[in-house]
Amino acid sequence: MSKKQLSAVFVKMGDKVPTTKYDPNVNQDELIMKQQRLIEKEIMDSIPLVGDKEDFSSLEGEYDGDDIYKQKVKNLAKNYKYIRRTRPDGNCFFRAFSYAYLEKLIDDREEFNRFRELAAKSKENLVALGFPQFTVEDFHDTFMEVIDQVGKHHSVLSPGAPAGEDLHKVFNDQGNSDYVVVYLRLITSGQLQRDSSFYQHFIEGARSVEDFCHQEVEPMYKESDHIHIIALSTALGVGVRVRYMDRGDSAEVIAHDFPEGSLPQVHLLYRPGHYDILYPH
Amino acid sequence: MAGSALRRLMAEYKQLTLNPPEGIIAGPINEENFFEWEALITGPEGTCFEGGVFPAKLIFPPDYPLSPPKMQFTCEMFHPNIYADGRVCISILHAPGDDPMGYESSAERWSPVQSVEKILLSVISMLAEPNDESGANVDAAKMWREDRIAFNRIAERIVRSTLGLPPP
Repeated sequence: MSKKQLSAVFVKMGDKVPTTKYDPNVNQDELIMKQQRLIEKEIMDSIPLVGDKEDFSSLEGEYDGDDIYKQKVKNLAKNYKYIRRTRPDGNCFFRAFSYAYLEKLIDDREEFNRFRELAAKSKENLVALGFPQFTVEDFHDTFMEVIDQVGKHHSVLSPGAPAGEDLHKVFNDQGNSDYVVVYLRLITSGQLQRDSSFYQHFIEGARSVEDFCHQEVEPMYKESDHIHIIALSTALGVGVRVRYMDRGDSAEVIAHDFPEGSLPQVHLLYRPGHYDILYPH
Repeated sequence: MAGSALRRLMAEYKQLTLNPPEGIIAGPINEENFFEWEALITGPEGTCFEGGVFPAKLIFPPDYPLSPPKMQFTCEMFHPNIYADGRVCISILHAPGDDPMGYESSAERWSPVQSVEKILLSVISMLAEPNDESGANVDAAKMWREDRIAFNRIAERIVRSTLGLPPP
């Protein structure tokens, strides 16, 4: 959910929003920002970064009395068994994507090796594009640590090692989890800039690809759009299927594969402004 | 969260000590607390702030570098982009969308790949070239635009006071 939508929701609920009279001596923008922080804190305290796996049918309860959505959930249930929710903080696409993909790598050693090599090289590519080595390194180191934690389980003798639990812990540790998000944002930005003549067509207005990256990709909490997903999935060579569930008339929930024609390794559910993880049957 | 911030701040401190950029000294006020720094910034050559050594404080949030620090000069300042209480108002100290002054959309913004060094270099450019569109100090912005001689006189007095010299 976007911050704007959230503010609207919270204002409507009349909850925790301080009512203040207009005071011309007070910087209104600063007040708005303060309120924003408050809303963000509410979300932080109530929703984990990445939740537990839930039965897909748990979604139905959210749409009592809403036939359009209910029908869509029913249709999706034919394809998906579980859902895993993520915190709506603007980073949800990156967090959902990386969690779902790394979880998959726990059981796919070959793909893991391919990805690890690509991830290891990615830092040099970013530095070559002009990203500052010193700060990129900070995020890259954590990114590799998280990947290697997944890899560790490939060499463990006891096959019952709860790799999934470890991953869950790492992704719910704000520091590690956010660093993974930052690094994926950098990779996305790098891909956009490397292939800027292609991506320029997707950017509205007169903004250059570079400005777009500085304003919409690299900073935390900025929501992701198609262009982010295309760039990231292309850069990593990882197929993503996104199921778009909105108020459209069709009872089917449209699927988009990124990059086009790829074999999906990660499945995400999109509801306006937010991404969660899906698990196929 | 604060753990990664601390690690990053220690690394930045080391980097700034080993390779200090010209005209800048910065580090934690007290090594027990890496989230509060002091910086000394030399007024850029060829500007009305030349020769001055301006002390400032940087306060880092627990989720640094995801969010930017705040910066405040601790000496008297008179500059279009510095509030009367010393707080610095430039775009790099704000993430996009986080916009108290409505900066130009192309202006450089905070993102986690920025650093203390980048901030301080931006502050030096700000001292050299005030942005009189973003008026943190409206009087200073007006004087900068309309009466440069008077502005320079105030700047000179401030420069001298940072060096412990009496007004000219």
